[in-house]
Amino acid sequence: MPCAMELPSTPDELTAQQADSAALKDLLKDPSRWHAIPLLNYTPLHKLKDQTLVRFRGMIQNVMDPEMYLERFEVKSPDGSKRVQEGKYRDCLKMATGEMIDYNADGNVYGERITLFVVSVPGLNDWSKEHEKQCCPQIDLVSLGPSPSSAKKRAIVGEQEAMEVDGASETTFKRPCLKDIQKDSEPLGASHSSVLSSEYLINSPLPNRPSMACMVKVYEEFDTYQLNSLVDFVGFLSVDASLDASTLDIDDCENLSELQATHPSPLLIPRLHAFGVQVLPHANPLLDKSLRQPTEICEETTYPTQLAVHKDLRMLLKLCLFDDDLAAEYLLSHLISTVYSRFKMQSIGKFALNLCNLPKECEAYATKLYKILELLLPASHYLPMTLVTLNTAAFAPKMDYETNKLVSGVLQLAPHTHLVLDETCMQQGKLEANGVHAIQYLAHLINNQELKCDFQFYQKDFHANIPVLVLSEGRSMLPSDFVLPINADAKAVELLDESLKAALHIMQPSRLQQFRKYLTTARTSSFSVSEEHTEMIQQDFVDMRKANAKINGDDLHGLLVLSRLLGIARGKDTLDKETWQLAREFEAKRRQRIQSLPKSSAQLRN
Amino acid sequence: MARRDYAQDRESIKTFLSEFCKCDDDGKKEFVYGSQLVKLAHREQVLITIDLDDLAEFNESLAEAVIDNCRRYTSIFSDVIAELLPSYKQQEVHAKDALDVYIEHRLMMESRTRNPMEQRDERNSFPSELMKRFEVGFKPLSTEKAHSIREVKAQHIGKLVTVRGIVTRCTEVKPMMVVATYTCDRCGSETYQPVNSLSFTPVHDCPSDDCRVNKAGGRLYLQTRGSKFVKFQEVKMQEHSDQVPVGHIPRSMTIMCRGEVTRMAQPGDHIVVSGVFLPLMRTGFAQMIQGLLSETFLQAHRIICINKNDEISDKDAELTPDELEELAQDDFYERLATSLAPEIYGHLDVKKALLLLLVGGVDKRPDGMKIRGNINICLMGDPGVAKSQLLGYISRLAVRSQYTTGRGSSGVGLTAAVMKDPLTGEMTLEGGALVLADQGVCCIDEFDKMADQDRTAIHEVMEQQTISIAKAGIMTTLNARVSILAAANPAFGRYNPRRTVEQNIQLPAALLSRFDLLWLIQDKPDRDNDLRLAKHITYVHSHSKQPPTRVKALDMNLMRRYINLCKRKNPTIPDELTDYIVGAYVELRREARNQKDMTFTSARNLLGILRLSTALARLRLSDSVEKDDVAEALRLLEMSKDSLNQIHEHQKGHVPNTSDRIFAIVRELAGSGKAVKIADIMDRCTTKGFKPDQVDKCIDDYEELNVWQVNMGRTKITFM
Repeated sequence: MPCAMELPSTPDELTAQQADSAALKDLLKDPSRWHAIPLLNYTPLHKLKDQTLVRFRGMIQNVMDPEMYLERFEVKSPDGSKRVQEGKYRDCLKMATGEMIDYNADGNVYGERITLFVVSVPGLNDWSKEHEKQCCPQIDLVSLGPSPSSAKKRAIVGEQEAMEVDGASETTFKRPCLKDIQKDSEPLGASHSSVLSSEYLINSPLPNRPSMACMVKVYEEFDTYQLNSLVDFVGFLSVDASLDASTLDIDDCENLSELQATHPSPLLIPRLHAFGVQVLPHANPLLDKSLRQPTEICEETTYPTQLAVHKDLRMLLKLCLFDDDLAAEYLLSHLISTVYSRFKMQSIGKFALNLCNLPKECEAYATKLYKILELLLPASHYLPMTLVTLNTAAFAPKMDYETNKLVSGVLQLAPHTHLVLDETCMQQGKLEANGVHAIQYLAHLINNQELKCDFQFYQKDFHANIPVLVLSEGRSMLPSDFVLPINADAKAVELLDESLKAALHIMQPSRLQQFRKYLTTARTSSFSVSEEHTEMIQQDFVDMRKANAKINGDDLHGLLVLSRLLGIARGKDTLDKETWQLAREFEAKRRQRIQSLPKSSAQLRN
Repeated sequence: MARRDYAQDRESIKTFLSEFCKCDDDGKKEFVYGSQLVKLAHREQVLITIDLDDLAEFNESLAEAVIDNCRRYTSIFSDVIAELLPSYKQQEVHAKDALDVYIEHRLMMESRTRNPMEQRDERNSFPSELMKRFEVGFKPLSTEKAHSIREVKAQHIGKLVTVRGIVTRCTEVKPMMVVATYTCDRCGSETYQPVNSLSFTPVHDCPSDDCRVNKAGGRLYLQTRGSKFVKFQEVKMQEHSDQVPVGHIPRSMTIMCRGEVTRMAQPGDHIVVSGVFLPLMRTGFAQMIQGLLSETFLQAHRIICINKNDEISDKDAELTPDELEELAQDDFYERLATSLAPEIYGHLDVKKALLLLLVGGVDKRPDGMKIRGNINICLMGDPGVAKSQLLGYISRLAVRSQYTTGRGSSGVGLTAAVMKDPLTGEMTLEGGALVLADQGVCCIDEFDKMADQDRTAIHEVMEQQTISIAKAGIMTTLNARVSILAAANPAFGRYNPRRTVEQNIQLPAALLSRFDLLWLIQDKPDRDNDLRLAKHITYVHSHSKQPPTRVKALDMNLMRRYINLCKRKNPTIPDELTDYIVGAYVELRREARNQKDMTFTSARNLLGILRLSTALARLRLSDSVEKDDVAEALRLLEMSKDSLNQIHEHQKGHVPNTSDRIFAIVRELAGSGKAVKIADIMDRCTTKGFKPDQVDKCIDDYEELNVWQVNMGRTKITFM
């Protein structure tokens, strides 16, 4: 009976249980077992003991080379006796003084494992962090060890305590564990002249929103771990101080920086030996079964229909977009868009939106709009496109061969992390080489939904799924799938502040949760087109071409994506004629708006 | 598996080394290894490479054993060679370095101090490593395929593997101690310690009989001069991008190079390494934190640098017989062409032209004058006719390519200016100069919007294949052997057939004439094509794959390799074709004068024809140009002119059908005479872009109309 079995809490217990991995996997299928395991993301390291069971959620930032380790080995003690030790899920040898490993014993078994460099989801918004934190069982040192049932009880108590403390001390969540560590390690670092900064070691994709890093060692199915995917790991923590390369004096300085990069202080970057893995389809903690949802959310019984939420959400977006209904529709479609299939060089389903014609009168409108979006989306990032940012920031990940580390860049984001580019803060000036590269990386990301990683000797494309929204005054200099000029009349511009206030008012906590759930559900839902409608679309396209020869295949791609998203937003799972007509109508309106835009000098030249 | 009998293997290795021979062209026996042993004995050669192909020929199971347990056999081989060497010595060897002198002195001293009655080999006290002045390496079987790094797993430990990748890092070449020599401060005797790993623990106490018996407690001191060192280098290698599966990070591997295999590669080189995959036990710090870990490395036996221009390429890059067969089908030209951007329907001739651009013609250098072989193509057309898709595809397919737009961000590693349009608030990028990939393809979108000064640079590039740069007061000229693929939009939104090409694109004729082919792509609403496109797109959206088509598109990778193969050919134009080409050119010129042509015909066209025909010959992997190649080149040229002129004809309202046009040609050919040879008609018509069956049809049609008569042998027609 696998149910009778409990999860091992230390590697030793795992060995003692002698359970095969299949039984362990069955055990982990039950989400309630995941609930009880403390999340390393939200638990200060000093509250956790070495070699205990923890969880870590994050994005795979880098995959390192496989390493060989002794899975089982013989230990010789000075008196000549021998015993067999297990080496799996461990970094350090457990040996009494005087004992030696017998490297040449016949019983030694070599295994292979891979180290993944995982960072907590970059760009995760405050509300998602707060929610994940609430779901995490809080642990104090006393509650370590005893049976899980009592741990659960205590965890709840601990949770409340923790919340009180949080409320008093810090309003915004800032990785408390990291702060502690930095304090701890400062004297150490001073005496040992560490070459690499902790920022470099942690390698956050977004430097102004630092992530937490963890090195996860996995033991099987190496090929399933794709770069930039979101994963939840369960495994044994390993924070033995001897894992730190910077505390040791080494004469051989040749690969010192590489050694330091691959063996950073475990207090800064803890190690986790994973045996349970779960790939997360999205970053929204509200819809994650592996998190224990607070009771008030579970009890909520009156679920409004998708359609009703859609209406409210559209209203809300309309308020923020100068009362522009069409813009609200397009923005909503953008918010639920996802690349749902890839075919050769095309990525289908992408919906890069350029909202242009933003009124100049509204100061910092882009940031105000982003504030609203931030509350709706689990993960997003606002990037002001200033010359300084473009010229200085690292955009694409780059391989540093000195340290064998893939140095992250702003564009290394997990799937469904919205990137909001604010072109209104762009000034005239000179783009340096880095800036030109940045524009190229951005354009490549928008056009192909692929992230170029710079391996110096060649570049490699990685699939991405990052919806990009560009806010600009005129048409953006970056490419986009849909350019929509906003219709803002003088009155609406004047009333913007009021409308935004009203919008914030609409977003009551419970309604906000609905919106958040709605967006993620819509994004992950499927949609199909029947044979009959396919034919209708094909016929329509032929007719459209007859009427206007300028319409081409790209327009059809756009229409198909738009109609799909409009349908999904309205809670449908197949395309109907109505939605198709709606999409055509919207596209026609949008085209008209673009036509009526003033022509720039470049276009006039044609 | 039964344990191998090493003693027996030693014997067979001995026979192999001394007796293996190959017959050269004259039927003389050549002792491959015997002659090398002589050189080794005379210290004229250091590295002896055993070709496993030879060994397999001699004893197959032995070769397999070597692959499986390479390190052991390396030492067996080296022992056997050390044993054999004295017998190969033909003359007295001069000492080459200090170590040689040292060894000599020691041998002399040993023989002096020893009791001569004692039958004892004087070398015994010396470790064999100290005396060996040669290295043994293995060359893998020629059938061995190069692995990617991720394919090398734990089961390969101890085996000879061949790995392909790119060098990312190299250390300096350093001396590594192989034998440490110590002298005792009491008894003065020497102690030797062979070192097999990266580090060693020095010996302190003198083990000599004198010291041990007397309990003198002699201390040992390390002697640098007497120790043996070997060159040592650590190389890091990474997988090449085509070996990495989608969504994965390239893996890397450490290679240890010793002795003669050091300094073979530099960062950025593509290499194929054969070596023994071994675990490495680190000591010191590494052992403390990774007591459970063992790093792995490849002990290199042979490193080959695959240079891009080199003929030697690794096995992976070559086409397998299956693939060649697939390509060698009759319609391979069409298939290759349709496989270019398969998602774009039709435009077969354009794709053919692009295929030729990728392959490129042959460079010629008669008497110092340089005639470029690269083909330049300009695609024109109304906005949204898949020009950009074609460009994008080509830039992806070409090994070295650059994709830029005429305005907006340009080449790599340059600065660009951000400009704000005062009226619309639109931000635009004004690109800097263009960076060109030498020996590559440069795709320029929106060519018409390119800044004038950039275009001037392009002039030079397109004809001279060089680019001049003035920097720090020095003027230099760099090679820029690129093919230019440009796309341009018509100046007035749509192509106006009443104007000339220059007017339509607003590019100077001097620049336009530098393009070998100008192509006007038109996208006229056409029910069937549109429906097909719609079907394709809806299919892709709902099934996320290419709809099944009649002709399967070739894999991009395969195309790339085939094109590489084509580029190695250097076909020549046989003399007998010259007349034909000249005739065709004269005809072109004459026609251009007679007709009111919207394009222009110049001497550059003649060169263009030569380039296209050599590219076609390359595509067939042939060494000489055939008549058909020239005919096809002329056809493409004609089609490209047609694409520009055809709208014109539509405007006139009168559209002559193909038969009528062929008739006109025949009429012209006949001139005042009455009889015309059919072969001549065929020649002339194919150069004008007509197909033989069309000509046949025309002949039949007009015969029915009793305009002319065809003779019995169907070789000649006579006008009535």
